[in-house]
Amino acid sequence: MKKNKVKKAAIVLLALAVVVMGLAIIVDRASAELTAKANHDHITIDFFYHGSTVNVSGISDPDADLIIKIASPEAHETLKEKGKVGGFLWMNVATLKLEKVPNLYSVYSTKKIDEILSPQEMDKYVIGYPALGKHAEMSPVKDEADKARWFSEFIKFKENSKLYNISFGKIDLKGKDGKQEYTILTEWPYQAPPGDYLATVYAVKDGKVVEIAESKVSVEQVGIVKTLSNMAKNNGALYGFISIISALGAGFGVGLVFRKGGGAH
Amino acid sequence: MYLYLPVALTSINILIPVGLGLAVGLLSGLFGVGGGFLMTPLLIMFGIPSTVAAATDSNQIVAASTSGTYAHWRVGNVDFKMGLYLLIGGFAGGLVGVQAIKILKATGNADFVIKMTYVLLLGTVGTYMFIESLTSMKKSKAATAEVKPEKESAFAKALGKLPLQTRFEKSGVTHSLLLPIIFGGFVGVLGAIMGVGGGFLMVPIMVYILRMPMHVVVGTSLFQILFNCIEVTFLQAYTNHSVDFVLAVLLLLGSTVGAQVGAVFGRKLKGEQLKVILAGIVLAVTVKIIFDLTLSPSLLLGQGGGH
Repeated sequence: MKKNKVKKAAIVLLALAVVVMGLAIIVDRASAELTAKANHDHITIDFFYHGSTVNVSGISDPDADLIIKIASPEAHETLKEKGKVGGFLWMNVATLKLEKVPNLYSVYSTKKIDEILSPQEMDKYVIGYPALGKHAEMSPVKDEADKARWFSEFIKFKENSKLYNISFGKIDLKGKDGKQEYTILTEWPYQAPPGDYLATVYAVKDGKVVEIAESKVSVEQVGIVKTLSNMAKNNGALYGFISIISALGAGFGVGLVFRKGGGAH
Repeated sequence: MYLYLPVALTSINILIPVGLGLAVGLLSGLFGVGGGFLMTPLLIMFGIPSTVAAATDSNQIVAASTSGTYAHWRVGNVDFKMGLYLLIGGFAGGLVGVQAIKILKATGNADFVIKMTYVLLLGTVGTYMFIESLTSMKKSKAATAEVKPEKESAFAKALGKLPLQTRFEKSGVTHSLLLPIIFGGFVGVLGAIMGVGGGFLMVPIMVYILRMPMHVVVGTSLFQILFNCIEVTFLQAYTNHSVDFVLAVLLLLGSTVGAQVGAVFGRKLKGEQLKVILAGIVLAVTVKIIFDLTLSPSLLLGQGGGH
């Protein structure tokens, strides 16, 4: 009987210990658990849309640096290369095809990316222009130097349309109960077309990504914008017909107004 | 105020297209050109994709040229007969041009050939028209007679020997039916290759080869442009889905009014004055294109399309 009691007590103690240890682990995990939320995850494009803002925020380990990447799914792009003809005339001389490049690519970080993340990790998670350059497939390019040259032109082209951007130091951090709250308000460019985008938050320690959290941002056309856009794509004949009739009507209408208004002799 | 353009997929301050429409519509009503050579590059400059810019411009021209044709027709300045034959030629020429561009593209240096032809044509036409109209302005100052009897050139004599001669009442000229068909076709081929309406070529052809009075040239050219642009708008909307209805409406708000003002203003100017101003604009555009071709671009990559 005594033996049994001792045994029972030992089991209870062991169970307790497991629970306490488990709790400790859970509490510890909670303090480091990375969360991400985009407050404006559904952007609607109506008639008066002129871009938007997206706020990405969450909780992170206070010891970790953060990198936030907002990107569209990888796709392909076809662009015209300008070059000199006859030594002094600039014109389109070739077509450049790019594969595995996102249409929108924004990276924000607490510090300069190459100061907090190792090159291997950058390549692994496609963070930063050099990593994106390695990841992208381009044709036709003669060699690595040629690829690098045209990729940097590609970046210039994308930054010019406000679709690519890399910056650091804009993430707000606030310490609270041993946790860290982070938040960033980003400008959402009106040049970004409708589609699904992904905001990925990387927690970084000792040059390595230790945690990842994601949040979706979807951009959708609504109302008249959606109706017109769909009609242009799916019913070109009717759309063309309406466009022409409207133009004819407007031309005649203004002509009549001017006659009545005595604008002419 | 900004509006979102559903096909161009970008947002634009409405004052930009309305203002551009007003300015280009004014030129359209004054000179009988569609103004695509100005409008398309300007729209691209304001962030509209090049294919959408060209297609939407043709939709807008439908409105501006309707407005302009109507204004000119009311004062009897549209030669419908001449316009019809030009259109027949232009339609056939367009079909040939579309095939020609395929052959050109296959040779690999299409861009170079097209750009050079465009610059040379603009430059030559502009210079010729500029010098000719300046000389005739001086002449008309010296002589009081309005119509000066001119010696028929060998070229004009040869044209007079072509079959199917007919009288074009409105223009006050007699030509072979083949003449407007051939020259309409020529402009149609070039227009299709260069991606422009060709008004800047059609106007000088009507003035110098068909010998039509400048005011009838403007009205007839607009009539002809109207039908060309209806065809182009439909094809662009149907095959390329590149017409932006919202942008077209914003542009035509300006251009239809501009065309009326241009037509009224044009009646106050003499034919020579109209010609010399048009020549000046054509030359300015030529210089601008030469600058674009020779100055180093800030971006070495761009979207395709345009000319």
